[in-house]
Amino acid sequence: MEKILMKNKVYDSSQSGRVFADTFRAFWDHRQLIALLVRRDITVRYKRSFLGLLWTLLNPLLTSLVLWFVFITIFRGKLPDGTQFAPYVLAGVLLITFFTQGFNQAADSIAQGSGILMKIYLPPQVFALSGVLSNALNFVFGLFALTFVSLLTGDGVSYLFILSIFPILFMLMYVTGLGLLVSIAYIRYDDTRSVFAILISFMMYLSPIFYPKEILSGKVLMIVNANPLTSFLDVFRFVFLNTGSASWGDWAYMSSFSVTTLFLGIKLFARAWPRTVVMM
Amino acid sequence: MAANSGDDVTEAAIEITDASVSYMIRHGASPTLKETVIQAFKGKSQDVEIRALQNISIKLYPGEVLAVVGRNGAGKSTLLKLMARVLPPTHGRVVVRGSVSPMIELGAGFNGELTGLENIILYGTLLGRTPKQMRDRANEITNWAGMNDFISLPLRTFSSGMIARLAFAIATDAVSDLILIDEVLSVGDAEFQEKSKLKMKELISNNSAAVLVTHDLKAVKDMAHKALWIDGGRAVKYGDVDSVVDAYLNA
Repeated sequence: MEKILMKNKVYDSSQSGRVFADTFRAFWDHRQLIALLVRRDITVRYKRSFLGLLWTLLNPLLTSLVLWFVFITIFRGKLPDGTQFAPYVLAGVLLITFFTQGFNQAADSIAQGSGILMKIYLPPQVFALSGVLSNALNFVFGLFALTFVSLLTGDGVSYLFILSIFPILFMLMYVTGLGLLVSIAYIRYDDTRSVFAILISFMMYLSPIFYPKEILSGKVLMIVNANPLTSFLDVFRFVFLNTGSASWGDWAYMSSFSVTTLFLGIKLFARAWPRTVVMM
Repeated sequence: MAANSGDDVTEAAIEITDASVSYMIRHGASPTLKETVIQAFKGKSQDVEIRALQNISIKLYPGEVLAVVGRNGAGKSTLLKLMARVLPPTHGRVVVRGSVSPMIELGAGFNGELTGLENIILYGTLLGRTPKQMRDRANEITNWAGMNDFISLPLRTFSSGMIARLAFAIATDAVSDLILIDEVLSVGDAEFQEKSKLKMKELISNNSAAVLVTHDLKAVKDMAHKALWIDGGRAVKYGDVDSVVDAYLNA
């Protein structure tokens, strides 16, 4: 009979690990599992609906269409020079979908998997990361639709589009960190989901998804600018559609906020997880 | 008795030294986030310490089978979590040398939308093997579980008995240095139970250490060398299987 081998052969509970190194090593050691979990997410989503994978695209497309239809007369002309409203909205909706669904799935995947995670030694962070990764993949599918819409409206795609990898990477970190921070609450408290649904919708409305930042002023503009999602949106639209502008401040804010959130999430999760396991 | 017990030439597969697990719960803790936040601001909550395990010591060599007996809530699950490396002890030390196969809540990682084959690959990978190994072993596993015709169908079309058999077949397809068994001997019909007991014995005979948690005291006497009786998180008796089981029965 085949024997399962252990990478680090001896486990000693008295040797406290280095949280960050251990987490990143766990990601690397379980890369095959992560790939399987991502594939499972995509397959399950695809099998569940009649339209299959197209549905995941249709959803943001329809949302954007509605927003476009409702707001086009109000916001046309308020956008920065030469920006078309349709790709502007779609870019916003795609990125926010990545954010909200990635966040939900990261937090949820640990809660859903807690049955197995509390019995079998598997780093739960792996589940969170794979939940976010499958949404990152959906986002990349969405970029094809965005390219199509942008070409249709005559805006085209920026030659800098390859730099979109940065907002994607930082969103990956940001969402994984947030998911880890919240996952423990998902397991322990029944009402977490509804509380966070409200918080998330605050964040959404306070970021320029379907309205141009140019219509804002005063305190509201300050709040919107303090929202990290605003920096993500500015940077992504600038590098992919070459519209609007992204300052170095946006880049710095986006990257530092994401990295900090990820490290905070990893740190606090590692501390809270054993306390949660012991109660279950 | 296993050949290795007693002499220290071989290192123990698992060594638990004076381990305790305790945790605080908030008195009258609420299961909602809103109330918890409000409570935190009021700041008038009393913490109660729960001692799930106290001063447990175990040493198990390759080839040895330890049975853990005790009533529900005695701390058996917490002890298994310590051994599965899921939970670190609050005090004391746990050392595990090698790989661990926890045969606990079999099939917890299954997904109804995926096919039987996809589930074999995913579940096996969750248990520490590679997708390639699982693809190579898929035929053997389905044969053993007796479900060749169904393997390309979604798992939700399987009966619960079939799912349990498949989970057992996957979990027992490879052997680890330490095997943790929690009430999995009662899966399926009488014929399958017999078959799975034999499979368990085969697994254990591979010079692995095994920990058996079950209420089936006949199986305990049949398979185990040592036994630990715990109650209220404390070890009541630890030693050779007959004396511990007899003491447990007479209690």
